[in-house]
Amino acid sequence: MKQAAIIGIAFLLGGIALYLVSNDEYAWRIDPDLPLPDVPADNPMSNVKVELGRWLFYDTRLSVNGTMSCATCHVQALAFTDGKPRSVGATGEIHPRSSMTLVNAAYASRLTWANQLLSRLEDQALTPLLGDNPVEMGMGGLEARIADMLRIDERYAELMPQAFPGDADPYSVLNVIRAISAFVRTIISYDAPYDHYLAGDESALSAAAVRGMELFFSERLECFHCHGGFNFTDSTTHANANVDRVGFHNNGLYNLDGEGAYPENNTGLYDMTGQRRDMGRFKAPTLRNIAVTAPYMHDGSMATLDDVIDHYARGGRLIEAGPNAGDGRRNPFKSEFIRGFELTDEERADLIAFLASLTDETVLSDLRWSDPY
Amino acid sequence: MFLRLISIALAALCVTACAKPAIEFDIPFVATFGGQPLACGAVDGAVQLTDLRFYVSEIYAVAADGENVPVSLVEDATWQQPGLAMIDLEDGSGACANGTPVMSRSIRGLVPAADYRGLRFVIGVPFDRNHGDPLKARPPLGDAAMHWHWRGGYKFLRAGVRTVNDGFWIHLGSTGCEGTIQNITGCSAPNRVVVELQDFNLQSDAIHVDLAKLVSKTDITDGELSDCSSGPAETACEEPFALLGLDGGSQRVFSGYAGH
Repeated sequence: MKQAAIIGIAFLLGGIALYLVSNDEYAWRIDPDLPLPDVPADNPMSNVKVELGRWLFYDTRLSVNGTMSCATCHVQALAFTDGKPRSVGATGEIHPRSSMTLVNAAYASRLTWANQLLSRLEDQALTPLLGDNPVEMGMGGLEARIADMLRIDERYAELMPQAFPGDADPYSVLNVIRAISAFVRTIISYDAPYDHYLAGDESALSAAAVRGMELFFSERLECFHCHGGFNFTDSTTHANANVDRVGFHNNGLYNLDGEGAYPENNTGLYDMTGQRRDMGRFKAPTLRNIAVTAPYMHDGSMATLDDVIDHYARGGRLIEAGPNAGDGRRNPFKSEFIRGFELTDEERADLIAFLASLTDETVLSDLRWSDPY
Repeated sequence: MFLRLISIALAALCVTACAKPAIEFDIPFVATFGGQPLACGAVDGAVQLTDLRFYVSEIYAVAADGENVPVSLVEDATWQQPGLAMIDLEDGSGACANGTPVMSRSIRGLVPAADYRGLRFVIGVPFDRNHGDPLKARPPLGDAAMHWHWRGGYKFLRAGVRTVNDGFWIHLGSTGCEGTIQNITGCSAPNRVVVELQDFNLQSDAIHVDLAKLVSKTDITDGELSDCSSGPAETACEEPFALLGLDGGSQRVFSGYAGH
């Protein structure tokens, strides 16, 4: 009854007060025009949980041989990617895919490159921590070791009971996953030059970036169909979303057999569904901080933004020789929005200037998300 | 519905208090390769086990009149819960690098006394339990090595063999699932293996798991380690899936073995 009254008062006070109540005492630091992220009911946000999650995110004891933490593949200065074409696990296994940015993961309706089943960070975090094909952090079967470490460590012995009050045994892998997820949910970009421009500061973008923005949102280039909205991806959700918006697209990177095939270890959504129409369909990643997250695409097969623009300008990539030879432009499963376009050199520079205006220096450097050790 | 409840209640009573005593069983599973014992430890030139763990569910004793009688598994803290058991035939040594020293070699339970001629079971986890939260699951579903986090269910079977630098492994589980993890609504490829053993004596026979049969159509001498991760389109899965009966035929890998 008391809680209902508080929520009622909060309603009267407006949206900001409402979210303070509905998310415990945790206060989101985001642009007031942004919707709040969707938070699972069984893992509410709290300041102490986010702090705990930060220590865990940077803790190399969460890998089988103490060589890596979450931050090894998700480096803050690189917008929480790792700069490699494909990521490498604790024991040296190379992942088929490139590390994705964690920026705005809180707003992702689906996580990772191509998995229609994965909608919550709490479910995704299990794979890098415990998975064995490939081994990433390699802790599968070592859950008891994690629990022992948490109990012995003075910091965790203090933080875990506070972060999970009422939990008879807070030193669990489940709670590690929850705390890391809560921390990752806070990594939200709202401070890029583009955001300031939208908020009314016309000096935030150069004339070139403004021209590039117009190109980006043009029917000529078609970029925004998949990379649209405040998060620059059509797989975006938030606390007020009433439609499950998910987009997976074949963007014409490969065409091994002339019938649309992608390399066997990286077929995208097809690997999940076995439906031919899903061949080569991957999630359109957010373009926030895209200038610092090279190399590009799910397999890191493009080194620069220039390569990416070349690819889309051609309407698909041509690989002339080697095991992956084929003309992606003729991939029968390719998105209808990838039709190719011509750009002058100046327009190309403008487009890149716009993409660079999505780089948020706050996200890349704010101490809230830095290594606490 | 009401009648069905009564009959279930009577059946439950029967297990513990029927005039006829219940039959206790403890049926061992044995890893073999072409009838020979298969183990993780290194043996010169021989085929080594790299993994063999699986879930057994929907277990019925088949009576002489053909009736399928459900068995009651004995619950324990690690390997058995009602209707579901885990078998673990690797001991973490030698080539079983991803394994654990503890093993689970048999299914243990009770069935109302009758004249039984066969045994049937499923290699898999029942749908409801397959798609729950693994971090909140009770044993034997709390094993991270068996949960397939990104596919949203369990590996029903992990199995593998290798020689010096060659071999094959399989992770079997449901694929083509719909919905989202924690809310999966169905899977186009459930991939549950049905095993039917005829002329099987519940109290004296064993079950052989012959991995030579599993790899009988897979080249394990071509110098490459091949694998099947149950992807709906993985070509390396086609033959092993057929040998597990997932093409609609009968499985060939599990068989009854008289006396143990």
